[in-house]
Amino acid sequence: MKAARGVAVTGIGVVSPFGKGVAPMRIGLLECRSCLEPVRAFPDDFDFAPTLARVHEPLEVGRRPGFRLSRTDKLALVAARDAASECGALEETGIAVATTVGGLSEVQPLIATHPREYYRAKGFSTVSSYPRGHVADAIASDLGLSGPRLGLNVACASGAVAIALAARMILNGTAPVMLAGGADAICPFTLGGFHSLQALDPEPCRPFDKNRKGLNLGEGAAILALEDLERARLRGARIWAVLRGWGMTNDAFHLTAPHETGAGVAACIRRALEMAGASPGDIGYVNAHGTGTDANDVSEAKAYTAAFAARSRPVPVSSTKSYIGHSLGAAGAVEAVITMLSLESGTLFPTLRLTDPVESTGVDWLRGETRPQPMRLAMSVSAGFGGSNAALVLEREG
Amino acid sequence: MLTGDIAITGIGSVSVFGPLEGLIRERECSPRELEWTKPRVRKARIVPPFRPAAVVPGLKTRRLDRLSVWSLVSASLALRDARIDWEREDRSRCAVAIGSGLGCIETTEAFFRTVAASGYGMADPILFPDSLDNAPASHVARTLSLTGPNIAFSCRGVSGEAALMESASLLRSGEADMAVAMAGDTLTPALYEWLEAAGSLSQECFPESAEPRAGFTPGEGLAALVLEPVERATSRGAALYATFVRGASCGDPQATASSWPRDGRALARAMRRALGDVAPSAVRWIISSANGAPALDHLEADAIREVFDDQPEPRLLAPKFMLGEFDGNAVLRLALALSGSTVSGLGMMLGASAGGGCAALLLNAP
Repeated sequence: MKAARGVAVTGIGVVSPFGKGVAPMRIGLLECRSCLEPVRAFPDDFDFAPTLARVHEPLEVGRRPGFRLSRTDKLALVAARDAASECGALEETGIAVATTVGGLSEVQPLIATHPREYYRAKGFSTVSSYPRGHVADAIASDLGLSGPRLGLNVACASGAVAIALAARMILNGTAPVMLAGGADAICPFTLGGFHSLQALDPEPCRPFDKNRKGLNLGEGAAILALEDLERARLRGARIWAVLRGWGMTNDAFHLTAPHETGAGVAACIRRALEMAGASPGDIGYVNAHGTGTDANDVSEAKAYTAAFAARSRPVPVSSTKSYIGHSLGAAGAVEAVITMLSLESGTLFPTLRLTDPVESTGVDWLRGETRPQPMRLAMSVSAGFGGSNAALVLEREG
Repeated sequence: MLTGDIAITGIGSVSVFGPLEGLIRERECSPRELEWTKPRVRKARIVPPFRPAAVVPGLKTRRLDRLSVWSLVSASLALRDARIDWEREDRSRCAVAIGSGLGCIETTEAFFRTVAASGYGMADPILFPDSLDNAPASHVARTLSLTGPNIAFSCRGVSGEAALMESASLLRSGEADMAVAMAGDTLTPALYEWLEAAGSLSQECFPESAEPRAGFTPGEGLAALVLEPVERATSRGAALYATFVRGASCGDPQATASSWPRDGRALARAMRRALGDVAPSAVRWIISSANGAPALDHLEADAIREVFDDQPEPRLLAPKFMLGEFDGNAVLRLALALSGSTVSGLGMMLGASAGGGCAALLLNAP
């Protein structure tokens, strides 16, 4: 694998349960504030109040002629506008944006049982936002971008994979600037799906704790503006961080369960380190996937033990899903932003409610309060249904 | 823009012609009557039912939707066609990519039916994970133990082009040694009714009506290609169907969610980028994206005129008139075109999508 020459992050747009923008996210993380709350989100559909992390601020993006915008689209647009504005996106800027939900939130079950009646009652354009590629099209239309477009869905690894693919497009000259990330809204379909799998914790989740009971769904979007590092330096752009490497693997094991040994995630981490030209000891912090589910957390802990075995000191790891829940296709991108904030501030953010960590060796489970820790390199790890894994290695600039 | 030639060394497909390994030699097909629209008579170019284990012995496909089944069948056939010696391959260096405009909508609709019957609180746990767009690629990885990158692209009508270009890019960057690049989509009752409600369908879909209609005939299917760097393919003595030279994608920001690009300029831009320093006069053949819908056909004609100007016109192939229209059609279109005797030398495949996405691929057939 060829070592990456470096891709600069020169713009960040983020919408999270902390609020719109980087500033409320930074404050929320430093305050160790949990955004998880019991919500009667869809009272007609559920007889329980799941614990969720919702975006409460209004998403006022205006009308987009020719597009019916879903909540996912709106989250993505808010984030994309901020990222594009900060980096000064060009007309030929490209887009790589991931979502697992897309416009599914706008569709009712009647469409499957009585489709003709559904379209007659609702109009056929109500489902125009359903294709996952719609998010990228809506952003391109909104920002007037004519560069390459990628829509993708790699389940919960989606956001990180979108960033990796966009970075490669920068390195091979496909586009001068790429807007990359993910967006997902909470919707009855996914809530019902995770509920059916008995994967939801009715209380605020406790990733990596022996007494964890499952995950909490969240929502949000994060879009990064990526460009060639030298180009960014030459034009004097603010560089949030440099993407030095990435890894992508698949467990080839099970549709919903990760490999028991964590082999897939470990291989993914090794690939990312190799591309970054880094050793395990160079990583100052790992923002883990850490969903809080029984199978994920044990497997992931084993992956860290294996991948970082060569270190002289345990690797600091935390899951920030304990603050903002699991935003599915957005999670990998949102957590990349958090990883950059950790690098920028020299602060390690703990896993909230982690009192009795899972058995592991070589892992420094961050818990309790934030910890000052200046560092050069940090890693964000994502994994998803279907066995896909992705890891990003980010470097502090300057 | 992508550079560095990538070889196509294996083809597997499931289409209106059924499941096939290698080139698609069958040439006879006509639209079939749909069961679900009765008593209304409606037609589309749909895949005939078949038993997967009869095509790929030992294949387990119980409870999977057709997109996942076709992915497993096509990938297995393509790898068999490429004569991959698994004793000598590193499965961790094999990537899997799928492009699909709508993903596993059959499972999504099935999930919705359980919700309609029992509510979200009693939704079916078996169906939910299989409704994700990356489930088909995941099943391929699991069944064939392929632990390399595994990605699902959802770029509407240019999803297949994205899967092909990004697979090639994975190989060129050294992130994988071999890739299975797939694309496809399934036609469901809800989708067909949506297309009919939107007024998109051709006269061919309404055999009992004499009313003239300008539109397309919906279809379905999936194809898989085995891609590997040319040097690697030749060193292992593999036969090359074609080489992928370069690809480019771009978009028309003026397009709406349900309209194709407003003119041929965005597609022409993609074509020029894909051509790079290759003169348009060197292009002998074009795999068209035309489907019978006036807006798409006109914009593509405009783009071809703009790029080729006063050059001799390349031979134009329009596979959608045999395969039907569906978002993830690119790989199947390419497989069908390569099966014809008229394709040799440099050629291009074009794609344009509702929403504004455009793509062009430069290929070289022996």
